[in-house]
Amino acid sequence: MRRFLSDSWLVLVLGTCFSVALAATQTALAPRIEANRRAALTSAVFEVVPGTVRYTERRVGLRSIYECFDAEGTSLGWAIPASDFGFQDQIDVVFGLSLDGASILGLSVVDNKETPGLGNRIVEDAWRAQYAGLDTGQAVTVVKRPRRDESREVQAISGATISSQAVTRIVNDTNRELVPELRKGR
Amino acid sequence: MSTPEAGGDLARFRAGVWSENPVLVQLLGMCPTLAVTNSLENALVMGAAASFVVVCSNLVISLLRSWIRPHLRILVFTLTIASFVTLADRILQACLWDVSQKLGAFVPLIIVNCIIIARAEVCALRSRPLRAVADGLGVGLGFTLALALLGAVREVLGSRTLLGIPVPGAGFEPWIVMVLPAGAFLTLGAVIGVVNHLRGRAPKGAIG
Repeated sequence: MRRFLSDSWLVLVLGTCFSVALAATQTALAPRIEANRRAALTSAVFEVVPGTVRYTERRVGLRSIYECFDAEGTSLGWAIPASDFGFQDQIDVVFGLSLDGASILGLSVVDNKETPGLGNRIVEDAWRAQYAGLDTGQAVTVVKRPRRDESREVQAISGATISSQAVTRIVNDTNRELVPELRKGR
Repeated sequence: MSTPEAGGDLARFRAGVWSENPVLVQLLGMCPTLAVTNSLENALVMGAAASFVVVCSNLVISLLRSWIRPHLRILVFTLTIASFVTLADRILQACLWDVSQKLGAFVPLIIVNCIIIARAEVCALRSRPLRAVADGLGVGLGFTLALALLGAVREVLGSRTLLGIPVPGAGFEPWIVMVLPAGAFLTLGAVIGVVNHLRGRAPKGAIG
């Protein structure tokens, strides 16, 4: 025991000192980190449900979704965070659904590590805008050339079919699970 | 390569920046060098975080050097480095959220960056605190400059921007390859070639 302590006292003392220092840092910085995380979510929520000024969290099963309100307190719809694997890594999106869950209001890609210049073009406004107004009654499909007046097709990004399909799959999988719940809740 | 005892503190600092540059001469820390240099901003933040860690860990190790048992030294190094890396990671998340999201796992991975543990072993363990700090500053600055150079070249050619600002007169099609991993290798090779040429010390027979 004595030999053990004479060998290791420095490690034990250092470990204790560093733990205290890190705990203090964590206590001091955690509110700011949480505020940053929340700000990133907030800007996405405001974008995917146009007109939102505030939102409240709601639990549906294991999922957190956000009910969005305008300045008069009227409910505008839902903002739904969802993620799944893309081409290289996880893609995190937030998308907006109308109050009855019947149509998509908008979509924002919060985080992705898709190939720059190809897959990561899923963040571009013009591509994401295709999701606004799509029906949720049937699954959204990815096509090379969209037919006119077709409300459940998204045009693939050339060279990035997998990333395009991944975003669509995230939306479809989430809707399949969530839209019946939203209908039931009304 | 000179021993850490040779020369003054200033010589130690200068060696870290140029003649013993950790990236361009010693070829250490290749993982962050290749991974985060797709833009100048990422490169600078990564360089700053690693510099902070190497200076702090060098100082602490140097202050503790007479108490560190030889067979437990790696444990003490890792403990010290891990603590400062965690600190740097938290500060980045609190103050520079967007960049910290882009750097992702590479900030926590500074813990296993061999440049830092090498400085602890080679210099801090056998030097006065002032010399250890000068060494840390030199190596940190050398690492940052090398990353910034790679980041600037890759961002200008790959995205036609510098620090996110469009480069005037860059009318060419962006070289997408430069922001991909392959671009990191191409740029690193070219930069090392140029640096070796400037140092006039390319090993004989190394280039066919």
